[in-house]
Amino acid sequence: MNAQQAMLPKSSANGFGHRRGDREVGARVESKVQSGKSNQGRTQTSGEMAGGRTGVYESSSRDRLVYLTTCLIGHPVEVHVKNGSIYTGIFHATDAENDFGIILKMARLIKDSSLRGDKPITQLVSKAPSKILIVPAKEFVQVIAKDVAITRDGFASELQHEKHQELLIDSAITQSHHVEVERVLEPWVPGEDDPQRPELENVFDSPWNRNWDQFETNQKLFGVRSTFNEELYTTKLERGPQMREYEREAMRIAREIEGEETQDLHLAEERGFDLHGNFDIDEEMRFSSVQRGRGFDDSGYEEEEDVMLDSHNIETFGDSSDSSSRRPADLTSLQGTVEVRIPSSSSLVDTSSLETIATKQLASELPSKSFPMSDNESRIQNDFLGEYKGSSDAKEFAEKQSPSEDLQLSNPVDSRSLLNDKIDASDKAGPCEKPSSSELSGGTASSKVTGETHSANSRGRPGSSASSNSGCVVAVSAPSGPGLSPSSSMGSLSSEKSTLNPHAKEFKLNPNAKSFTPSQTPVRPPSPVSDGSFYYQAQMSPVPRMHMPVSYGIGSSFPGHQPVIYNPQVAPTQSPQPYHPNGPQYGQQMLLGQRQQVVYYQPEMQQYKGRHY
Amino acid sequence: MGGEEFAVGCLLSIKTTLGDEFEGQIISYDRLSNILVLQEGLESGPRRNIRLLKADYIKDFSLLRQDEDPLDVKKCFLDLTTLQAREDSAIRQAESDSERFGVGVTSEAQTLFDALSRTLPVRWDKTVIVVMNEVRVSSPYLPESVSGGTPAANERVRKVLEFERKRIQTRGTSQ
Repeated sequence: MNAQQAMLPKSSANGFGHRRGDREVGARVESKVQSGKSNQGRTQTSGEMAGGRTGVYESSSRDRLVYLTTCLIGHPVEVHVKNGSIYTGIFHATDAENDFGIILKMARLIKDSSLRGDKPITQLVSKAPSKILIVPAKEFVQVIAKDVAITRDGFASELQHEKHQELLIDSAITQSHHVEVERVLEPWVPGEDDPQRPELENVFDSPWNRNWDQFETNQKLFGVRSTFNEELYTTKLERGPQMREYEREAMRIAREIEGEETQDLHLAEERGFDLHGNFDIDEEMRFSSVQRGRGFDDSGYEEEEDVMLDSHNIETFGDSSDSSSRRPADLTSLQGTVEVRIPSSSSLVDTSSLETIATKQLASELPSKSFPMSDNESRIQNDFLGEYKGSSDAKEFAEKQSPSEDLQLSNPVDSRSLLNDKIDASDKAGPCEKPSSSELSGGTASSKVTGETHSANSRGRPGSSASSNSGCVVAVSAPSGPGLSPSSSMGSLSSEKSTLNPHAKEFKLNPNAKSFTPSQTPVRPPSPVSDGSFYYQAQMSPVPRMHMPVSYGIGSSFPGHQPVIYNPQVAPTQSPQPYHPNGPQYGQQMLLGQRQQVVYYQPEMQQYKGRHY
Repeated sequence: MGGEEFAVGCLLSIKTTLGDEFEGQIISYDRLSNILVLQEGLESGPRRNIRLLKADYIKDFSLLRQDEDPLDVKKCFLDLTTLQAREDSAIRQAESDSERFGVGVTSEAQTLFDALSRTLPVRWDKTVIVVMNEVRVSSPYLPESVSGGTPAANERVRKVLEFERKRIQTRGTSQ
């Protein structure tokens, strides 16, 4: 018995609780053992009666007392003391070994016996709560506690009640001196009591996969009739006979892309790859922070670097640098808008704009289009751009492309479109986490694009033009290369409506301009403007003079609106500053260095009257 | 005091030397410490009102009747961790509450503080009620005792204070 009872220390409470009739007092276990040892055995078997009635009760009386005082732990109690004063506090412990002196925590005097008579109750002054109050046994008269749980059920109900009650706000937790250790966070697993909602299991699946229609549910539950029409917000999908093929193709491409290896932590996380060999990564890095600086990632990407670093810019402002870096000549005019005109325009669509491309539209548009072919040959182009079918061609193309290119382009740039010189990159330009049809169209579009770029850039550098985001639109301007003037490019794509600005000024290259070598900056400079300009300049040198059409602004006010004073003759005064003397201008206008590769905003009005391609 | 009379289950009516009077059923009586454990009321539910009384202070008592043991030993159960947790939580609560209670202030002042805290951010600064960190209300917490803050804030506090005082008065008189 003793041995049994000896295992009473606080820490073993858990195992303890299961035994009936066990009594414990916080700290005074051992003493209790001593005093009660002969009784313990008896109390274990509740039914047993040894000796007379009083005998039984006597042996258990102390135990009961101990039991009940234990039940009071943590409970608010009132202690009346000999002199008539009353304290209230949280019951902490009692000296069961001796004569049951009481220890309270956070006790306050609520009735002071010394103050009597004169002052009305309201005038009695409060006292500060004392952290610990010890009331010696001799002093205490009564301990009153209300609503004490004394049986198993009581405890259970109290526990539940408390769980609901206590809302721990952060300040309470941090202020409390009792909570010193950080809580160990555990991932949540659904408990048994948590309601199973199988219909919500796949909430993150694509909309057509879920067995739950939010509109329908809303209507049922609340009688709200929705006027939501998906087509108001996105391109209308033409669900023709070829839809299934497109979908299949899109799914395939999507799968390929999503299955790609990537160095980007976030992408990897999404795709389920575990890149965490490097244990410096904490939760924040894994799940929330933006990847900056890719010191460790830069190996092997030198040539792409400029492209990639610039993709942000490109996203927003159009891929001026890219095209420019590639070849001023080849600057393809990019039909900037998402709705794109990629197909419609002849242009060399930015490969990187997988995102752009990733619009449903393409799926519908493409087939109907007869793809503009530029003069320049390109076997690929001929192969498929011409008769884009959507499935097999794209596939072929894609396949051709994939092996040759290093696919890990997307990362540091965070899944931005990759401006990659190589066409190959194009269809893997970036993970496209868009609905499958858009993937499909993306794939196809990109193939188209690359084809186009091939054609246009026979010189070899597929200048992908500006990428465009759904949000911003930027078109690459003027590409004119030696062999390719705006007009010629327009001409080659004669069947399509040209998106080039016919009023644009010719771009003239300044061969005397200083060449610029981008330095490897770990952190992206805040201004996107600068980026573009640097890179552009770097590549400029070998190219013969060009004239660059400069157009700005939105709306048809092009002609009158030429804030860019691009003047190659002015070279001497131009220092390699990233900003044009006029100052950086964001948004629709962007000046990138002296040798402007002007990225201008192609207003939709201009070339885009409605959605026909 | 006769231990025999303090049998478990007895319902007693007790008068203490301090003037308390109550009825309770004996759960236990520990001779050694002379502590009588009583439960007030006859319920045998999971939660009871418990009173621990030092038998020394019983001035007078009478046996009302003899009932069964109010404590069902089979149902007794203790889980120290729960108790500990409960205590910790109570202490936390008390600590956060202590911010709310003024030290060395009358209960009237405390009532006013509580009333003000319903609609305004208030805190104690010794015995001064600080409202919105700018208006100060010091003893005796009359509208005249309001000082500081912008005129608008000051006015507002005054108004609320007056209103609350009236409420306390009417409540007091109606009792």
